[in-house]
Amino acid sequence: MARPNIQIDDLVREMTDEEYAALLESGWTPEPIESEPTGDE
Amino acid sequence: MGYPVFALGDKWEPTDANAVGLWLVKTQTVGSAVSSVSVTSAFSSNYDNYRVVYDGGTSSTDAAFTVQLGSTATGYHYSIVYQQYNAATPLGVGATNTTSWPNAGRQSTVRNSLVLDIFAPYLSTYSGIRYAGVDYAATSGFIITGGGMLNNTTSYTDLKINAGSGTISGGTVRVYGYRN
Repeated sequence: MARPNIQIDDLVREMTDEEYAALLESGWTPEPIESEPTGDE
Repeated sequence: MGYPVFALGDKWEPTDANAVGLWLVKTQTVGSAVSSVSVTSAFSSNYDNYRVVYDGGTSSTDAAFTVQLGSTATGYHYSIVYQQYNAATPLGVGATNTTSWPNAGRQSTVRNSLVLDIFAPYLSTYSGIRYAGVDYAATSGFIITGGGMLNNTTSYTDLKINAGSGTISGGTVRVYGYRN
């Protein structure tokens, strides 16, 4: 999928590859895996 | 006549202004299809404690926000209690030394919602947080209430709100300072 945007104050830009890798590492998904609150996300 | 009751034509004294408890510190419009919003210079020496409100915009999916201070991605302790509108029983979850404060508010394709009280983020002491959010995802939505601390004594100026899944668009993040 296309990398999502990231926003810092008024600046909105596409994520770099490194930022996207870190985002995926954080547990982020394009769609939720679970609907209920779970542990660290 | 002045604080706490004003009439047309009353003079606005410094003591009146200094009695105002909540001041709008920063406003940040959320852009289109972003996975996170960093609000810089949100915290300063002017206030010890802050309220952050984001109720608006939409999300590409229903999920939960996570919150971080600055670029710190470790040391977050938290505990939450949550219940779905159509559930009879509340539930809870907690953890220590996580990468963020999770479940800090609710993303929704209908409307996003996040309310935070952040304690001492700028001070060189432990930061704390209490949070909540309204889930506008109809009957399957959650009400979450929680809080936690960040296990360091770093002074922070910036706040980062992350989409737990998908992206968010629109709405406005408002940061208020509680007057010391």
